[in-house]
Amino acid sequence: MKFSRSLTPALLVFGLLAACGPTRRGPPFVAEREITDPQLVLGQRTFDTYCQQCHPGGASGLGPAINNKPLPGWLIRYQVRNGIGVMPAFSSRQISGEELDATVEYLKYLRGLGS
Amino acid sequence: MYVTEAGYSYGEVWTTPRLLRIEPDGGLTTIVTGAHAPWNGVDFHEGAFYIAAGGEAGEGRILRIGMDGSITPIVEGLPSLGDHHTNGPAISPDGWLYFGQGTATNSGVVGIDNFEFGWMYRHPDFHDVPCADITLAGKNYTTLNPLTEDPDDRMVTGAYVPFGTPTEEGRVIPGEVPCGGAVMRVPLAGGTPEVVAWGFRNPFGLAWSPDGRLYITENGADVRGSRPVFGTGDLLWLVSPGTWYGWPDFFAGRPLTDTGWFKPPNEPAPGFLLAEHPNAPPEPTALLGVHSSSNGLDFSRSPGFGYTGEAFIAQFGDMAPGVGKVLAPVGFKVVRVDVENGTIQDFAVNQGESNGPASRVGGGGLERPISVRFDPSGTALYVVDFGVMTIGEQGPEPQPGTGVLWRITRTAGGIP
Repeated sequence: MKFSRSLTPALLVFGLLAACGPTRRGPPFVAEREITDPQLVLGQRTFDTYCQQCHPGGASGLGPAINNKPLPGWLIRYQVRNGIGVMPAFSSRQISGEELDATVEYLKYLRGLGS
Repeated sequence: MYVTEAGYSYGEVWTTPRLLRIEPDGGLTTIVTGAHAPWNGVDFHEGAFYIAAGGEAGEGRILRIGMDGSITPIVEGLPSLGDHHTNGPAISPDGWLYFGQGTATNSGVVGIDNFEFGWMYRHPDFHDVPCADITLAGKNYTTLNPLTEDPDDRMVTGAYVPFGTPTEEGRVIPGEVPCGGAVMRVPLAGGTPEVVAWGFRNPFGLAWSPDGRLYITENGADVRGSRPVFGTGDLLWLVSPGTWYGWPDFFAGRPLTDTGWFKPPNEPAPGFLLAEHPNAPPEPTALLGVHSSSNGLDFSRSPGFGYTGEAFIAQFGDMAPGVGKVLAPVGFKVVRVDVENGTIQDFAVNQGESNGPASRVGGGGLERPISVRFDPSGTALYVVDFGVMTIGEQGPEPQPGTGVLWRITRTAGGIP
C-alpha cells in the first residue's frame, strides 16, 4: 500500500461525506438502464471485471460504497493505480488508461443515477 | 412445479430431504423422501426426476426418481462429506447428466474451520481428492487439535491429506474419479462418472445456455481456516471440457501468490499448494460479489420474458462474519449477467435504501434466493428462496418454515 500522508486529509474529508444518500442503482430504484455510450459501455465492462466483486453495483460489500460519494476523477485514478488498505493496485497492464478513464465516467454515471 | 427440500442446512440442522410438488393452490405434496442430505437440486427428463443428493450424511449420490416414486441411485460414493456437496444436476441437450462436486475444504487444507462446520467429528480422515495426479509444494499448517482436550496439542496438516498429516515437497497425491471440485457427467442410465472439468471449489449451479454451452457458478474461497483467502468473489464460468480451473492455487485466473489481492489482513498470502499446475487457468465469464453466495442459475430463452440469452443467478447472500467480514450485506437478490461481456445487473431485489434480506431491511420480499428456473414456456421465472438464515455467535441459524417459492413474470409493457 502506498499513499502520501498529504492525501490522508483529502481521503478523510471525502470519507466524512459518506452519508451521501442511498446506493441502490438498479431497478426498481432507478429506471432500467441500457447503456449505449461507447465510453460508458467500456467503463461498465471494466468496472464489472475489476471492481464489481468488492463494490457490487458501486454499493458497499467487501469494500465501501463508491457510487454515492463526490470522489473526483483524479482521486479515483490515484486509488486504482496505488490501492489503499486491502484494496489492491491495478497497473496499466490490467486497466489501461483508456479503460480507467471510462471507469471514472461510469462511476460518475452511477452517482448521477442517485441524484 | 416440483422442488427439492434439502433436509440439511449449515448450522447443522437436519430434517428429511424430500421432493415436493407445489399445487396450484400453493399446497405441498410430498412425492418422495430420502436420505443423504442435502438434496441440492433436481432436473426432469423423459418422465423421471434426477436429484443431486448432496451427501453430508452418507456419501453423495445422483438419484433417479420415477413417476411411481421409485428411487434408484445412478451414481454413488461421491466425496461429499465435507464443506461442499454434490450439486446440480443439469441434463445436457444430448442426454448426459452433468453435476457438480464441491470440495471438502475451503482452500485445500483440513483445519479448525472444518471442525466448526461439524463434519470433522464424523469423518476425521476426510480430505480433498484431486481428479488427476498432483505434486505438492509441501506446505504444512500447524493448528490446535480439537479432537483432544489438551490445549497444547498441536497438529501439522498438509494439502489433500487427512487432518494431522504433514506432507513433503514433491509428494504426489494420486488422482481419483470421482473427485472433488469438479464437474462430472454420467449417462442417464448411470455408470462411472467422467470428469468434464476440475479445479473448482464449489460448482453449485449448472445450466445450459440457449446455444448449448454449459455454465456453472462457483463459490469463491472464504477468509477462514488454515489457509484463508481474501477478496475472492463468486464466479460464473463457461465450462470447457478437459480444463483445470485453478483451485486451490488460482482465483479467476490470478495466482494466490499475489499478495496485493489475496492476502488477508494480518495473515500470510495463501501461496501455492501445488508444485505444478495442469494448465494456465482460464478467466471467468463474470465476477460476482465477494461472499454473495451466487448459486442456482438459469438462462432466459424467451422474448416473452426478455433478456434472452442472459444468465439469471440466485444470490443466497453472505454468511459473514464466518466467511469473512463485509461492510454491508452482499447478495440476497437475483442478478442477471450478459455472458457475452460479463456485465451484471440487479434483477430482483428488496425495496429499501439498503441491500439485504427482507428480515433485515423490512417490507417483505426476498430472504435468501438459492435457485432459479424458467418454466418451459420461458415466460415465468421461479425463484426458490431458502428463507431466513441469520448468523449468530455459533454460526448459521436457519429458521424452519420460512422458505418461499416466488414467481416472476413480465408485466405488460414494463419490467417483470
